Amino acid sequence: MTIDELAKGVQEGKRRHLAKAITLVESNREADQQTAQELISKVRSAKETIRVGISGVPGVGKSTFIEALGNLLIEEGLKVAVLAVDPSSPATGGSILGDKTRMETLSSKEEAFIRPSPTSGTLGGVAKRTRESMMLCEAAGYDVILVETVGVGQSEFEVASMVDCFLVLMLPGAGDSLQGIKRGIMEIIDILVINKADGDQEKMAKNAVTEYQNAFHLLTPKYDGIGVEFLTVSSIKKKRIDEAWEKIQGFVSALKEKGIFEAQRKEQELNWFKRLVEDEVLRRLWGSETNKEKAAELVEQIKKGEITPVKAAYDFLSSEISR
Amino acid sequence: MSDNSSGKENWKKGVEKLLKGDKAESLNRQSPEGFEIQALYDSEDVSNRNVDPGYPGEFPFTRGPYSSMYTQRPWTIRQYAGFSTAEESNKFYRQALEKGQKGLSVAFDLATHRGYDSDHPRVVGDVGKAGVAIDSVEDMKILFDGIPLDKMSVSMTMNGAVIPIMAAYIVAAEEQGVSTEKLSGTIQNDILKEFMVRNTYIYPPQESMRLVSDIIEYTSEKMPRFNSISISGYHMQEAGADSALELAFTLADGLEYVKTAVESGLDVDAFAPRLSFFFAIGMNFLMEVSKLRAARTLWAELMKEHFEPKNQKSLMLRTHCQTSGWSLTAQDPLNNVVRTTIEAMAAVLGGTQSLHTNSYDEAISLPTETSSRIARNTQTIIQEETDITHTVDPLGGSYAIESMTHDLKEKAKTIINEVMEMGGMAKAIEEGYPKRKIEESAAIKQAGIDKGDITIVGVNKYVNEKEDPVDILDIDNTGVRDGQVNLIDEIKAKRDKVATKEALLAITEAARSGEGNILDLAVEATRKRATVGEISTALEQAWGRHTATNQTIKGVYESVYKSDKGYQEIKSKIDAFSEEEGRRPRILVVKMGQDGHDRGAKVVATAFADMGFDVDVGPLFSTPEEAAKQAIENDVHVIGVSTLAAGHKTLIPDLVKILKKEEAGDIIIVAGGVIPVQDYDFLYEAGVSAIFGPGTNIPKAASKVIDEIRAKKA
Ligand code: B12
Ligand SMILES: Nc1nc2c(ncn2[C@@H]2O[C@H](COP(=O)(O)OP(=O)(O)OP(=O)(O)O)[C@@H](O)[C@H]2O)c(=O)[nH]1
Ligand SMILES: [Mg+2]
Repeated sequence: MTIDELAKGVQEGKRRHLAKAITLVESNREADQQTAQELISKVRSAKETIRVGISGVPGVGKSTFIEALGNLLIEEGLKVAVLAVDPSSPATGGSILGDKTRMETLSSKEEAFIRPSPTSGTLGGVAKRTRESMMLCEAAGYDVILVETVGVGQSEFEVASMVDCFLVLMLPGAGDSLQGIKRGIMEIIDILVINKADGDQEKMAKNAVTEYQNAFHLLTPKYDGIGVEFLTVSSIKKKRIDEAWEKIQGFVSALKEKGIFEAQRKEQELNWFKRLVEDEVLRRLWGSETNKEKAAELVEQIKKGEITPVKAAYDFLSSEISR
Repeated sequence: MSDNSSGKENWKKGVEKLLKGDKAESLNRQSPEGFEIQALYDSEDVSNRNVDPGYPGEFPFTRGPYSSMYTQRPWTIRQYAGFSTAEESNKFYRQALEKGQKGLSVAFDLATHRGYDSDHPRVVGDVGKAGVAIDSVEDMKILFDGIPLDKMSVSMTMNGAVIPIMAAYIVAAEEQGVSTEKLSGTIQNDILKEFMVRNTYIYPPQESMRLVSDIIEYTSEKMPRFNSISISGYHMQEAGADSALELAFTLADGLEYVKTAVESGLDVDAFAPRLSFFFAIGMNFLMEVSKLRAARTLWAELMKEHFEPKNQKSLMLRTHCQTSGWSLTAQDPLNNVVRTTIEAMAAVLGGTQSLHTNSYDEAISLPTETSSRIARNTQTIIQEETDITHTVDPLGGSYAIESMTHDLKEKAKTIINEVMEMGGMAKAIEEGYPKRKIEESAAIKQAGIDKGDITIVGVNKYVNEKEDPVDILDIDNTGVRDGQVNLIDEIKAKRDKVATKEALLAITEAARSGEGNILDLAVEATRKRATVGEISTALEQAWGRHTATNQTIKGVYESVYKSDKGYQEIKSKIDAFSEEEGRRPRILVVKMGQDGHDRGAKVVATAFADMGFDVDVGPLFSTPEEAAKQAIENDVHVIGVSTLAAGHKTLIPDLVKILKKEEAGDIIIVAGGVIPVQDYDFLYEAGVSAIFGPGTNIPKAASKVIDEIRAKKA
C-alpha cells in the first residue's frame, strides 16, 4: 500500500487502513517514523471531535465504563474510537492484552473502533503514538475519542496533556483512596466518577462524593469558572452513564463558550512540539558514541574526586556544543 | 517387631550406599500440590500424622461411603456420551446398555449448553457437534425412547441451561407415564465451576445461584431419588488444576451450595444426602487414590463443623469419577488404553461410586463405536476379570496411601481456609482467584512438558515416527441443524401460542421478582411446548447474559523455561523479527462459536507473550465477524484460532471469507486444538497456513509462526 492509498483509505474511514496507519505511527523503525509524518500531514479531520482521557487504578472499571459509555454514544448516532494504552511494560517479552473482552458489545459494533496498544520498548513513550493515533481516528471520521490508561507512572499526565476532558474513575470508599491519590492528579481532573455504585457499595459511593467535593474545594480550579464535576455510576448496571456523558458535554461546551477549547488544543500542540524537541535533543545527546565516551571519562573523574560535577557538566556541554 | 527408628536408619544407610554418598532425602520429591513425596513411608509416618482411617461406611468415611462397597455391588459403569440428533444418541445408548453399561450420562451439544436453540445464528458451527442437540421436550422424548425412566438412572451434564433441560426431562418422563418421585439420576447443576473453568454459564453468578437453589428445592420435594447437584472438580483438573487445587475448590464450592440452600430456608438434612461429587483421575496413581480418600474425610469433617447435620448421610461424600482426557494423546493413540486403565484402577482403588473411562481417540474426535467399546470394557474387565472388587479399600493401611491422604487433606484445608477468608467460593470466584491459580498451574505443566521435564510417551519421548490416521466420527452439523430447525418450526406451528407466551412471561416475572420456583414454572412452560432457547431467553430478559472478565497471566511459563537454550534461541529470533519489523509480532488468539475450551488458548497466549509476541486475547464465543474485526483493528500479523469442539470446518472458512471481504486477506491464519488429520487438507485449502494439534511444543510453534509471517511478506 502506498502512502497516498493509505491516507485515502483513512480519510474514507476504512477500518483496515486506519489500523495500518496506526501501526505505522507506532512503529519503532526510523524509516517508518518519517513515512508516518508524511501520512499525518496528508489527512485532515473534517468535523468537530471530543477527546476524553479515562484513567484510574487497575480494576476500577475503565473498560467496563467505556463499554457502557461507548454504546450510549453509538445510540446517539456518534462514532467512537477507543485507544487503550497500558504503560506497564513488562521486563521482557511482549504484552498480553485482553481488554476487548471487557468491551464485548462495543467492540463488535460497526460504529466503534478499538485499539489496545502494547507499549513495551517504544520510542517516545505513551504520548507520541497515542496523540498521533488520535488524529488518525479523527481523520477517519470518529466523533469521540476515548483514551483509556491505567493510572500508573507518568501516563496519566501524558494523556491529560492531549485530551479536551480528563476523567478519572475512583472506587467507592473515599477515605482510603484520598490518601492513596497520587500527587498532582487532583490538579488535572476535570470529571471525577465514582464507579461501582451498585449493590452494597451504593451508599459508600455517595459518601465518597461528598468527601471528594470537600477535598477538591481547597484546590485552585484548573479553569476559571469551570469547576470539577462529580458523580457516581455503575458501569456494570449501566446506571447514570447518560449523566456522565452529559457532564462531559457540559464541560466541553463550557470550554468552548469561554474560548478555551481551541486555545487549549493549540497549546497542547505547542507543548508537544517542545517536548519532541527536548526528547530528540536528549536522544541525540546520549546516543552519540563520542558523547558516550566523553561522559564515561568524566564520570570516572568525578568518582575519583578529580573534578567537581559542575565543572564536569560544563566541560561536557561545551565540548558537545562546540561540535 | 523390629525397632522402627533403627530400621529406618538402616534403610537410609542402605540407600546412601546405593546413591554413592548422596542423602536418602535426595530421593524425596516435591509434588505439584506443594508437599513432599517421600521415597519411603513407614508406620512411624502414619502414627506421626495421627491417622486412623477407621472402617468403611463410618465417619469420616475415609475407606468408603458404604460398608460393603464393591464386594456387594461394583461401581456403576456410566459412560458420558451424546452426539448429533436425539435419534442417533438414543440408538447409541440402547446399544451400550445391552453391552454392560449400567447408567446413562447425557452429553449435550454446546448450543444447548448455552441456552440457544439450533436455529440461533450464533451456533451455526456447534449444533450436534460435541454432544446431542436438544431443543425441546420432543427431542428429549426421542432421546429416551424405549428407555424406561423409572428404572434407568440418568445423569445429565447441564449447568447453564439447567432449567429448561431439567424441565424437558421431567415432562418427557411424565409423558412416558413416569412421575417425578420415581426418577433417579443426577443433574450436574454446578454453576460455580462454570465461571471458573467450564464456561457454559448463561446468567450472572448471583442469579445463577438462585437457579441452583430452586432446583435443590424442587428435587428435595418432588424427586427424592434424584441427585440435585454434582459438585465437580473434574473440569478443574482438566483445565490444569493439581489435585490439591481440585480437591479444595470442589469442596469449597460444595460448602457454598449448602450455605445457599440453607439460607433459602431448607433443612440441611433435606438435601445434603442428595449432593454428589465428581472428580477427575489423572496419571498420578497414588495421589489420585489418596485424593478420593481425602475428599471423603474432609467433606465429612467440614459438613459436621459448619452445618451439624443429624443424618449421617449428609456427611457422606459419594462421587462419580472420569479418567483424565487431558492425559490422553493424539500421538500413538493406542497408548491411551493403557493410561485409561491405570486411571480407572486409581478411581476404583480410591472407592468411586461410578466411573466413566475415556476412549483412546479422545484427543482426536468424539469416540467411534470401536473406541467406545474398548473404553467400556476397560471397566468390565476390571470388574469381572480381576479380584479388585473382592476386598473393600484394599490399599487402606498402606503407609504411603494413608500418609498421602493425610498430607493432601491438610494441603486442601489450607486452600479452603484461604477461600473462606475471602468470604467463600462465590466471592473468590468474583475476584478471579481460583481461575488464576488453575491457569498458572496449567502454564507450569505445559512448560514442563515442552521442556521435557514431564514425560508424555509418544509426545516428547519415545515418539512413534510413522503414525497411521485413526478412524473418526465426523458429524455433519449442517444436516443436523437443518433437521433440528424443521422440528422447531413444526412444534411452534402446532402449539397454543397464547398459552406458551403466558407461561414464558411467568418465568420472566418470577426471575424479576425473586418469587416462586423457576423450575416449577419451566415445567409448566415445557408442557406448553416452549423450547429450550425460549425458556433461556425468558430468564435472560430479566437477568441479561453474563460476560466473563478475561484475566491473563504473564511470566509463569517463562519462569519454568528460562534456563533452556532452545527457548532462549526462539526469544532471540522473535526479538530479531521485532527489530526488523519495527514492532513485535502480534497475534490474536481467538475462540469462535460456543466452544468454551480455553485451556489451550490461555496457555498459548501466555507462553507466546513470554516469548516476545504481543498477544491479543479475544473474548470467548466470538463469531467469525467479531474475530475478523478485532484482528483488523489491532492490525495483527496472525490470527491463531484455537478450536476444540469441532466447529473448525464451518467457522474457519467463514473467517477467511470475511477477512478477504475487508481487504485483510494478508492476515495469516493458523489453527490449533483438536483437529483430526483428515481435516488438514480441507483447512489448508481454505487458507490456513499452519495447524498445531494436541501435544504441540509451544516454542516450536512460535518459531513456525514467525517463519509463516516472513514467508508471507517475501
Ligand atoms: C480439557 C478438556 C475439557 C475441559 C476444558 C477446560 C478448559 N477451560 O479448557 C472440560 C472438562 C471443561 C471440558 C468440557 C467439555 N468438553 Co472437552 N476436552 C478437554 C480435553 C480432554 C483436553 C483439551 C486441553 O485442554 N488440552 C490441553 C491443551 C493445552 O491442549 P490444546 O488445547 O490441544 O492446545 C495445544 C495444541 O492444540 C496447540 N494449540 C491449541 N490452540 C492453539 C492456538 C495457537 C495459536 C497455536 C499456535 C497452537 C494452539 O497448542 C497447545 C499446546 O500444545 C479434550 C481432549 C484432548 N485430549 O484434547 C476434550 C475435548 C476437546 N472435549 C470435548 C467435549 C465434547 C467437551 C464438552 C462439549 C462435553 C459436553 N458435551 O458437555 C464439554 C464442554 C466444554 C465447553 N464449554 O466447550 C471433545 C470435543 C469433540 C470434538 N472435537 O469433536 C474432546 C475432543 C474430547 C472428546 N474426544 O470427546 N473439556
Ligand atoms: N460491581 C461493579 N463491578 C464493576 C463495575 N465496573 C466494573 N466492574 C468490575 O470490575 C472489574 C474490573 O473492570 P475493568 O473494566 O476491567 O477495569 P479496568 O479499570 O479497565 O482494569 P484494567 O484495564 O485492568 O486497568 C471487572 O470484574 C468488572 O466486572 C461496576 O460498575 N460495578
Ligand atoms: Mg481496562
